[in-house]
Amino acid sequence: MSASSPLLLELIEALRCLPGVGAKSAQRMAFHLLERDREGARRLAGRLVDAVERIGHCRRCRTFSETEMCATCAGSGRDATLLCVVETPVDQLAVEQATGYRGLYFVLLGRLSPLDGLGPAELGLDQLAQRLREGEVRELIIATNPTVEGEATAHYLAQLARAANVRASRIAHGVPIGGELEFVDRGTLAHAFGSRQSV
Amino acid sequence: MQRIDRQPAWVLHERPYRETSVLLEVLTRDHGRVGLVARGVRSAKPRFARGTVKPLQALELSWLGRGELGNLAGADPVGVPVPLAGDGLLCALYLNELLARLLARNDPHPDVFARYASVLYELAAAGDALGQAWALRRFERDLLAGLGYALPLDEDEQGQVLEPAAQYAIDPERGALRWSGRGPAPLLVSGAALRALADDAAPAPEVLRELKRALRALLRHHLGGRDLAAWSMRPPASGSIND
Ligand SMILES: [Zn+2]
Repeated sequence: MSASSPLLLELIEALRCLPGVGAKSAQRMAFHLLERDREGARRLAGRLVDAVERIGHCRRCRTFSETEMCATCAGSGRDATLLCVVETPVDQLAVEQATGYRGLYFVLLGRLSPLDGLGPAELGLDQLAQRLREGEVRELIIATNPTVEGEATAHYLAQLARAANVRASRIAHGVPIGGELEFVDRGTLAHAFGSRQSV
Repeated sequence: MQRIDRQPAWVLHERPYRETSVLLEVLTRDHGRVGLVARGVRSAKPRFARGTVKPLQALELSWLGRGELGNLAGADPVGVPVPLAGDGLLCALYLNELLARLLARNDPHPDVFARYASVLYELAAAGDALGQAWALRRFERDLLAGLGYALPLDEDEQGQVLEPAAQYAIDPERGALRWSGRGPAPLLVSGAALRALADDAAPAPEVLRELKRALRALLRHHLGGRDLAAWSMRPPASGSIND
Protein backbone atom coordinates (compact mmCIF):
# COMPACT_ATOMS: atom_id res chain seq x y z
CA MET A 1 0.00 0.00 0.00
CA SER A 2 0.96 3.62 -0.51
CA ALA A 3 4.01 4.28 1.57
CA SER A 4 3.37 7.84 0.34
CA SER A 5 0.95 8.34 3.21
CA PRO A 6 2.08 7.12 6.62
CA LEU A 7 -1.01 8.85 8.07
CA LEU A 8 -3.29 6.60 6.03
CA LEU A 9 -1.55 3.53 7.43
CA GLU A 10 -1.86 4.94 10.92
CA LEU A 11 -5.58 5.58 10.41
CA ILE A 12 -6.14 2.01 9.25
CA GLU A 13 -4.21 0.69 12.24
CA ALA A 14 -6.19 2.93 14.62
CA LEU A 15 -9.55 1.74 13.25
CA ARG A 16 -8.62 -1.81 14.14
CA CYS A 17 -9.22 -1.05 17.82
CA LEU A 18 -12.95 -1.31 17.07
CA PRO A 19 -14.54 -4.66 17.91
CA GLY A 20 -14.91 -6.94 14.91
CA VAL A 21 -12.78 -4.75 12.65
CA GLY A 22 -9.90 -6.58 11.01
CA ALA A 23 -7.29 -5.31 8.57
CA LYS A 24 -9.61 -5.54 5.56
CA SER A 25 -12.56 -3.69 7.10
CA ALA A 26 -10.27 -1.04 8.58
CA GLN A 27 -8.84 -0.39 5.14
CA ARG A 28 -12.32 -0.13 3.62
CA MET A 29 -13.43 2.31 6.32
CA ALA A 30 -10.37 4.49 5.92
CA PHE A 31 -10.75 4.72 2.14
CA HIS A 32 -14.46 5.39 2.43
CA LEU A 33 -13.95 8.26 4.85
CA LEU A 34 -11.18 9.87 2.79
CA GLU A 35 -12.76 9.35 -0.63
CA ARG A 36 -16.43 9.99 0.10
CA ASP A 37 -17.14 11.40 3.51
CA ARG A 38 -14.54 13.74 4.90
CA GLU A 39 -17.28 15.70 6.67
CA GLY A 40 -18.48 12.55 8.44
CA ALA A 41 -14.92 11.73 9.38
CA ARG A 42 -14.46 15.17 10.92
CA ARG A 43 -17.70 14.77 12.91
CA LEU A 44 -16.68 11.28 14.09
CA ALA A 45 -13.26 12.52 15.21
CA GLY A 46 -14.83 15.37 17.16
CA ARG A 47 -17.42 13.18 18.89
CA LEU A 48 -14.77 10.61 19.79
CA VAL A 49 -12.60 13.23 21.45
CA ASP A 50 -15.59 14.79 23.24
CA ALA A 51 -16.86 11.43 24.46
CA VAL A 52 -13.52 10.25 25.72
CA GLU A 53 -12.81 13.56 27.47
CA ARG A 54 -16.21 14.25 28.94
CA ILE A 55 -17.91 10.95 29.73
CA GLY A 56 -17.00 9.73 33.17
CA HIS A 57 -18.86 7.72 35.76
CA CYS A 58 -21.81 8.73 37.92
CA ARG A 59 -20.70 9.21 41.50
CA ARG A 60 -23.80 7.42 42.78
CA CYS A 61 -24.39 4.49 40.42
CA ARG A 62 -21.10 4.31 38.44
CA THR A 63 -22.79 4.24 35.03
CA PHE A 64 -21.49 6.45 32.21
CA SER A 65 -22.30 10.09 32.83
CA GLU A 66 -21.16 13.53 31.70
CA THR A 67 -22.22 15.04 34.98
CA GLU A 68 -21.15 14.12 38.48
CA MET A 69 -24.54 12.48 38.96
CA CYS A 70 -26.33 10.82 36.03
CA ALA A 71 -29.83 11.87 34.99
CA THR A 72 -31.37 8.68 36.41
CA CYS A 73 -29.87 9.20 39.86
CA ALA A 74 -30.45 12.95 39.88
CA GLY A 75 -34.05 12.81 38.62
CA SER A 76 -37.01 12.67 40.98
CA GLY A 77 -39.20 10.34 38.93
CA ARG A 78 -37.61 7.06 40.04
CA ASP A 79 -38.45 4.82 42.96
CA ALA A 80 -35.41 5.11 45.24
CA THR A 81 -36.49 2.14 47.38
CA LEU A 82 -35.58 -0.24 44.54
CA LEU A 83 -31.95 -0.72 43.55
CA CYS A 84 -31.00 -2.98 40.65
CA VAL A 85 -27.38 -4.17 40.42
CA VAL A 86 -26.02 -4.94 36.94
CA GLU A 87 -22.54 -5.78 35.68
CA THR A 88 -22.23 -3.20 32.89
CA PRO A 89 -23.86 -0.05 31.47
CA VAL A 90 -25.01 -2.18 28.52
CA ASP A 91 -26.85 -4.50 30.91
CA GLN A 92 -28.44 -1.46 32.54
CA LEU A 93 -29.65 -0.29 29.14
CA ALA A 94 -31.04 -3.76 28.40
CA VAL A 95 -33.05 -3.82 31.65
CA GLU A 96 -34.20 -0.25 31.07
CA GLN A 97 -35.43 -1.00 27.55
CA ALA A 98 -36.98 -4.41 28.19
CA THR A 99 -38.76 -3.87 31.49
CA GLY A 100 -40.96 -1.25 33.06
CA TYR A 101 -38.48 -0.93 35.93
CA ARG A 102 -38.77 2.45 37.64
CA GLY A 103 -36.17 2.06 40.38
CA LEU A 104 -32.50 3.04 40.48
CA TYR A 105 -29.35 1.17 39.41
CA PHE A 106 -25.91 0.33 40.63
CA VAL A 107 -23.39 -0.64 37.95
CA LEU A 108 -20.50 -2.85 39.04
CA LEU A 109 -18.42 -2.37 35.89
CA GLY A 110 -17.47 -6.04 36.11
CA ARG A 111 -18.04 -9.06 38.34
CA LEU A 112 -15.99 -10.75 41.04
CA SER A 113 -13.12 -12.32 39.15
CA PRO A 114 -9.90 -12.92 41.04
CA LEU A 115 -8.01 -13.87 37.89
CA ASP A 116 -8.97 -10.56 36.28
CA GLY A 117 -7.97 -8.67 39.40
CA LEU A 118 -11.59 -7.72 40.11
CA GLY A 119 -12.49 -7.86 43.78
CA PRO A 120 -15.05 -6.11 45.99
CA ALA A 121 -13.05 -2.86 45.99
CA GLU A 122 -12.85 -2.68 42.19
CA LEU A 123 -16.63 -3.20 41.93
CA GLY A 124 -17.41 -0.38 44.34
CA LEU A 125 -18.98 -2.72 46.87
CA ASP A 126 -17.90 -0.59 49.84
CA GLN A 127 -19.88 2.24 48.30
CA LEU A 128 -22.84 -0.07 47.71
CA ALA A 129 -22.74 -1.37 51.30
CA GLN A 130 -22.72 2.22 52.55
CA ARG A 131 -25.73 3.02 50.40
CA LEU A 132 -27.65 0.00 51.70
CA ARG A 133 -26.91 1.11 55.26
CA GLU A 134 -28.37 4.55 54.54
CA GLY A 135 -31.77 2.89 54.76
CA GLU A 136 -33.60 4.22 51.72
CA VAL A 137 -33.26 1.03 49.66
CA ARG A 138 -35.92 -1.61 50.49
CA GLU A 139 -35.08 -4.17 47.82
CA LEU A 140 -31.82 -5.01 46.10
CA ILE A 141 -32.53 -6.60 42.72
CA ILE A 142 -29.50 -8.63 41.67
CA ALA A 143 -29.23 -8.79 37.89
CA THR A 144 -25.69 -10.08 37.39
CA ASN A 145 -25.18 -12.63 34.61
CA PRO A 146 -25.88 -16.34 35.24
CA THR A 147 -22.19 -17.26 34.82
CA VAL A 148 -20.07 -18.80 37.59
CA GLU A 149 -18.55 -15.39 38.36
CA GLY A 150 -21.90 -13.63 38.03
CA GLU A 151 -23.48 -16.10 40.47
CA ALA A 152 -20.59 -15.73 42.93
CA THR A 153 -21.07 -11.97 42.71
CA ALA A 154 -24.81 -12.37 43.25
CA HIS A 155 -24.13 -14.38 46.39
CA TYR A 156 -21.76 -11.71 47.67
CA LEU A 157 -24.33 -9.00 46.97
CA ALA A 158 -27.03 -10.98 48.77
CA GLN A 159 -24.74 -11.16 51.82
CA LEU A 160 -24.20 -7.40 51.67
CA ALA A 161 -27.96 -6.88 51.59
CA ARG A 162 -28.49 -9.29 54.46
CA ALA A 163 -25.88 -7.50 56.57
CA ALA A 164 -27.78 -4.23 55.96
CA ASN A 165 -31.21 -5.80 56.53
CA VAL A 166 -32.30 -5.15 52.97
CA ARG A 167 -34.40 -7.67 51.06
CA ALA A 168 -32.49 -9.15 48.11
CA SER A 169 -33.95 -10.74 44.99
CA ARG A 170 -32.30 -12.47 42.05
CA ILE A 171 -33.64 -12.21 38.51
CA ALA A 172 -34.88 -15.57 37.22
CA HIS A 173 -33.11 -17.33 34.38
CA GLY A 174 -34.09 -20.30 32.32
CA VAL A 175 -35.81 -21.38 29.15
CA PRO A 176 -36.19 -18.50 26.67
CA ILE A 177 -39.75 -17.48 25.84
CA GLY A 178 -40.77 -19.16 22.60
CA GLY A 179 -37.97 -21.70 23.05
CA GLU A 180 -38.31 -25.46 23.00
CA LEU A 181 -36.81 -27.61 25.72
CA GLU A 182 -35.18 -29.87 23.17
CA PHE A 183 -32.97 -27.03 21.95
CA VAL A 184 -32.10 -25.43 25.25
CA ASP A 185 -28.53 -26.18 26.38
CA ARG A 186 -28.12 -28.50 29.34
CA GLY A 187 -26.82 -25.94 31.81
CA THR A 188 -29.75 -23.61 31.20
CA LEU A 189 -32.27 -26.40 31.38
CA ALA A 190 -30.71 -27.77 34.59
CA HIS A 191 -30.91 -24.32 36.13
CA ALA A 192 -34.48 -23.72 34.98
CA PHE A 193 -35.47 -27.11 36.33
CA GLY A 194 -33.73 -26.51 39.64
CA SER A 195 -35.41 -23.15 40.18
CA ARG A 196 -38.92 -24.27 39.17
CA GLN A 197 -41.84 -22.52 40.87
CA SER A 198 -45.18 -23.69 42.23
CA VAL A 199 -48.11 -23.01 39.92
CA MET B 1 0.87 -29.09 15.06
CA GLN B 2 -0.38 -31.47 17.70
CA ARG B 3 -3.94 -32.69 18.01
CA ILE B 4 -5.21 -33.66 21.45
CA ASP B 5 -8.40 -35.71 21.56
CA ARG B 6 -11.02 -35.84 24.28
CA GLN B 7 -8.77 -34.81 27.13
CA PRO B 8 -10.42 -34.68 30.58
CA ALA B 9 -10.43 -31.01 31.59
CA TRP B 10 -11.89 -28.25 33.74
CA VAL B 11 -12.13 -24.59 32.75
CA LEU B 12 -10.42 -22.42 35.37
CA HIS B 13 -11.17 -19.10 33.74
CA GLU B 14 -12.66 -17.60 30.61
CA ARG B 15 -12.36 -14.14 29.22
CA PRO B 16 -13.71 -12.57 26.03
CA TYR B 17 -11.23 -12.49 23.19
CA ARG B 18 -11.64 -10.52 19.97
CA GLU B 19 -15.21 -10.07 18.81
CA THR B 20 -16.72 -13.53 19.15
CA SER B 21 -14.10 -15.70 20.82
CA VAL B 22 -13.19 -16.68 24.34
CA LEU B 23 -9.77 -17.25 25.88
CA LEU B 24 -9.84 -20.25 28.20
CA GLU B 25 -7.47 -21.18 30.98
CA VAL B 26 -7.94 -24.91 31.37
CA LEU B 27 -6.72 -27.59 33.77
CA THR B 28 -6.23 -30.87 31.94
CA ARG B 29 -5.29 -34.31 33.22
CA ASP B 30 -2.37 -35.13 30.95
CA HIS B 31 -1.22 -31.72 29.74
CA GLY B 32 -1.51 -29.65 32.90
CA ARG B 33 -2.64 -26.06 32.64
CA VAL B 34 -3.30 -25.07 29.05
CA GLY B 35 -4.44 -21.87 27.32
CA LEU B 36 -7.04 -22.39 24.59
CA VAL B 37 -8.91 -20.13 22.21
CA ALA B 38 -12.55 -21.03 21.66
CA ARG B 39 -13.35 -19.32 18.39
CA GLY B 40 -16.80 -18.07 17.67
CA VAL B 41 -18.44 -19.16 20.95
CA ARG B 42 -19.94 -15.72 21.39
CA SER B 43 -21.34 -15.56 17.86
CA ALA B 44 -24.95 -16.17 16.87
CA LYS B 45 -24.16 -19.72 15.72
CA PRO B 46 -21.46 -21.00 18.05
CA ARG B 47 -19.52 -24.17 17.26
CA PHE B 48 -19.72 -25.16 20.92
CA ALA B 49 -22.77 -24.76 23.12
CA ARG B 50 -22.13 -21.60 25.10
CA GLY B 51 -23.39 -22.99 28.35
CA THR B 52 -21.04 -25.98 28.08
CA VAL B 53 -17.51 -24.61 28.07
CA LYS B 54 -17.49 -23.01 31.48
CA PRO B 55 -15.98 -23.50 34.94
CA LEU B 56 -17.30 -26.19 37.32
CA GLN B 57 -18.32 -28.51 34.50
CA ALA B 58 -16.31 -31.69 33.88
CA LEU B 59 -15.37 -31.65 30.20
CA GLU B 60 -13.62 -33.58 27.50
CA LEU B 61 -11.80 -31.14 25.28
CA SER B 62 -10.07 -31.60 21.95
CA TRP B 63 -7.69 -29.01 20.57
CA LEU B 64 -5.01 -28.29 18.05
CA GLY B 65 -1.88 -27.08 19.72
CA ARG B 66 0.94 -24.95 18.45
CA GLY B 67 2.89 -22.61 20.66
CA GLU B 68 1.35 -20.95 23.70
CA LEU B 69 -2.33 -21.11 22.77
CA GLY B 70 -4.24 -24.10 21.44
CA ASN B 71 -7.33 -23.91 19.28
CA LEU B 72 -10.36 -25.56 20.80
CA ALA B 73 -11.72 -28.12 18.33
CA GLY B 74 -14.32 -29.94 20.41
CA ALA B 75 -15.97 -29.80 23.82
CA ASP B 76 -18.18 -32.41 25.45
CA PRO B 77 -19.62 -32.10 28.93
CA VAL B 78 -19.23 -35.10 31.22
CA GLY B 79 -22.29 -35.26 33.46
CA VAL B 80 -23.84 -32.15 34.93
CA PRO B 81 -22.09 -29.09 36.46
CA VAL B 82 -20.91 -29.38 40.08
CA PRO B 83 -23.87 -28.09 42.10
CA LEU B 84 -22.02 -25.30 43.90
CA ALA B 85 -23.82 -22.26 45.25
CA GLY B 86 -23.26 -19.45 47.72
CA ASP B 87 -19.92 -19.50 49.53
CA GLY B 88 -19.06 -22.67 47.65
CA LEU B 89 -18.83 -20.60 44.46
CA LEU B 90 -16.43 -18.15 46.11
CA CYS B 91 -14.33 -21.11 47.29
CA ALA B 92 -14.25 -22.41 43.72
CA LEU B 93 -13.12 -19.02 42.38
CA TYR B 94 -10.33 -19.15 44.95
CA LEU B 95 -9.26 -22.65 43.88
CA ASN B 96 -9.29 -21.65 40.23
CA GLU B 97 -7.13 -18.60 40.92
CA LEU B 98 -4.76 -20.70 43.04
CA LEU B 99 -4.30 -23.31 40.32
CA ALA B 100 -3.97 -20.76 37.53
CA ARG B 101 -1.28 -18.90 39.49
CA LEU B 102 0.59 -21.84 40.99
CA LEU B 103 0.68 -24.37 38.15
CA ALA B 104 3.03 -23.79 35.26
CA ARG B 105 1.64 -24.21 31.75
CA ASN B 106 2.03 -27.64 30.16
CA ASP B 107 3.23 -29.28 33.37
CA PRO B 108 0.89 -32.22 34.00
CA HIS B 109 -0.09 -33.31 37.52
CA PRO B 110 -2.76 -36.00 37.12
CA ASP B 111 -3.02 -36.38 40.92
CA VAL B 112 -3.76 -32.66 41.35
CA PHE B 113 -6.27 -32.90 38.51
CA ALA B 114 -8.11 -35.74 40.27
CA ARG B 115 -7.98 -33.93 43.61
CA TYR B 116 -9.45 -30.79 42.05
CA ALA B 117 -12.52 -32.70 40.90
CA SER B 118 -12.94 -34.30 44.32
CA VAL B 119 -12.58 -31.04 46.26
CA LEU B 120 -15.29 -29.39 44.15
CA TYR B 121 -17.70 -32.13 45.13
CA GLU B 122 -16.56 -31.93 48.75
CA LEU B 123 -17.32 -28.20 48.71
CA ALA B 124 -20.74 -28.88 47.23
CA ALA B 125 -21.44 -31.46 49.94
CA ALA B 126 -20.04 -29.42 52.84
CA GLY B 127 -22.82 -28.40 55.19
CA ASP B 128 -21.26 -25.19 56.47
CA ALA B 129 -18.33 -22.79 56.32
CA LEU B 130 -16.23 -25.04 58.56
CA GLY B 131 -16.75 -28.00 56.27
CA GLN B 132 -15.74 -25.88 53.29
CA ALA B 133 -12.67 -24.54 55.07
CA TRP B 134 -11.57 -28.07 55.95
CA ALA B 135 -12.05 -29.21 52.35
CA LEU B 136 -9.89 -26.28 51.16
CA ARG B 137 -7.11 -27.00 53.68
CA ARG B 138 -6.97 -30.66 52.68
CA PHE B 139 -6.81 -29.67 49.03
CA GLU B 140 -4.02 -27.17 49.70
CA ARG B 141 -2.12 -29.92 51.52
CA ASP B 142 -2.46 -32.30 48.57
CA LEU B 143 -1.72 -29.61 46.00
CA LEU B 144 1.55 -28.67 47.74
CA ALA B 145 2.47 -32.35 48.01
CA GLY B 146 1.61 -32.89 44.35
CA LEU B 147 3.94 -30.07 43.34
CA GLY B 148 6.76 -31.43 45.48
CA TYR B 149 6.36 -28.93 48.31
CA ALA B 150 4.81 -31.30 50.84
CA LEU B 151 4.26 -29.94 54.34
CA PRO B 152 6.14 -31.68 57.12
CA LEU B 153 3.32 -33.47 58.86
CA ASP B 154 4.86 -36.19 61.04
CA GLU B 155 8.23 -34.95 62.18
CA ASP B 156 10.14 -31.75 62.64
CA GLU B 157 13.31 -30.79 60.85
CA GLN B 158 15.37 -32.69 63.45
CA GLY B 159 13.42 -35.91 62.82
CA GLN B 160 11.50 -35.64 66.09
CA VAL B 161 7.84 -36.63 66.14
CA LEU B 162 5.58 -33.55 66.18
CA GLU B 163 4.21 -32.89 69.64
CA PRO B 164 0.60 -31.70 69.74
CA ALA B 165 1.27 -29.05 72.38
CA ALA B 166 4.48 -27.71 70.81
CA GLN B 167 4.59 -24.72 68.44
CA TYR B 168 6.36 -24.90 65.11
CA ALA B 169 7.51 -22.40 62.54
CA ILE B 170 7.14 -23.68 58.98
CA ASP B 171 10.17 -23.03 56.84
CA PRO B 172 9.37 -23.70 53.16
CA GLU B 173 12.81 -25.19 52.57
CA ARG B 174 13.69 -26.87 55.86
CA GLY B 175 10.38 -28.02 57.31
CA ALA B 176 8.84 -27.61 60.78
CA LEU B 177 11.17 -25.88 63.21
CA ARG B 178 10.29 -26.33 66.83
CA TRP B 179 9.84 -22.89 68.36
CA SER B 180 12.13 -22.18 71.27
CA GLY B 181 10.36 -19.00 72.29
CA ARG B 182 13.43 -16.87 71.69
CA GLY B 183 13.75 -14.03 69.19
CA PRO B 184 10.96 -12.39 67.21
CA ALA B 185 8.01 -14.78 66.90
CA PRO B 186 7.51 -16.12 63.36
CA LEU B 187 4.17 -17.47 62.14
CA LEU B 188 3.57 -20.47 64.38
CA VAL B 189 1.38 -23.51 64.05
CA SER B 190 0.76 -26.15 66.69
CA GLY B 191 1.83 -29.76 66.37
CA ALA B 192 -1.82 -30.65 66.93
CA ALA B 193 -2.87 -28.67 63.84
CA LEU B 194 -0.25 -30.31 61.63
CA ARG B 195 -1.20 -33.74 62.91
CA ALA B 196 -4.88 -33.10 62.24
CA LEU B 197 -3.93 -32.43 58.63
CA ALA B 198 -1.74 -35.57 58.56
CA ASP B 199 -4.52 -37.73 60.04
CA ASP B 200 -7.25 -36.19 57.87
CA ALA B 201 -9.20 -35.57 61.07
CA ALA B 202 -11.38 -32.44 61.02
CA PRO B 203 -10.04 -30.19 63.79
CA ALA B 204 -11.71 -27.57 65.97
CA PRO B 205 -12.48 -24.17 64.38
CA GLU B 206 -9.53 -22.39 66.04
CA VAL B 207 -7.14 -25.09 64.82
CA LEU B 208 -8.59 -24.71 61.31
CA ARG B 209 -7.79 -21.00 61.45
CA GLU B 210 -4.22 -21.81 62.48
CA LEU B 211 -3.89 -24.16 59.53
CA LYS B 212 -5.30 -21.56 57.19
CA ARG B 213 -2.71 -19.00 58.25
CA ALA B 214 0.13 -21.51 57.99
CA LEU B 215 -0.93 -22.84 54.58
CA ARG B 216 -1.54 -19.38 53.25
CA ALA B 217 1.96 -18.28 54.29
CA LEU B 218 3.38 -21.33 52.54
CA LEU B 219 1.32 -20.76 49.39
CA ARG B 220 2.35 -17.10 49.37
CA HIS B 221 5.97 -18.22 49.45
CA HIS B 222 5.44 -20.51 46.46
CA LEU B 223 3.51 -17.77 44.67
CA GLY B 224 6.63 -15.62 44.82
CA GLY B 225 5.45 -13.60 47.81
CA ARG B 226 2.25 -12.42 46.16
CA ASP B 227 -1.25 -12.57 47.62
CA LEU B 228 -4.19 -14.04 45.72
CA ALA B 229 -7.03 -11.67 44.86
CA ALA B 230 -9.52 -14.22 46.23
CA TRP B 231 -7.98 -13.82 49.69
CA SER B 232 -9.57 -10.39 49.94
CA MET B 233 -13.01 -11.51 48.72
CA ARG B 234 -14.87 -11.96 51.92
CA PRO B 235 -18.63 -11.45 52.08
CA PRO B 236 -19.73 -9.76 55.30
CA ALA B 237 -21.93 -12.57 56.57
CA SER B 238 -19.71 -15.55 55.90
CA GLY B 239 -16.18 -16.64 56.54
CA SER B 240 -15.36 -19.84 54.76
CA ILE B 241 -12.43 -18.37 52.87
CA ASN B 242 -10.99 -15.91 55.29
CA ASP B 243 -11.77 -17.20 58.73
ZN1 LIG C 1 -26.22 7.46 38.45
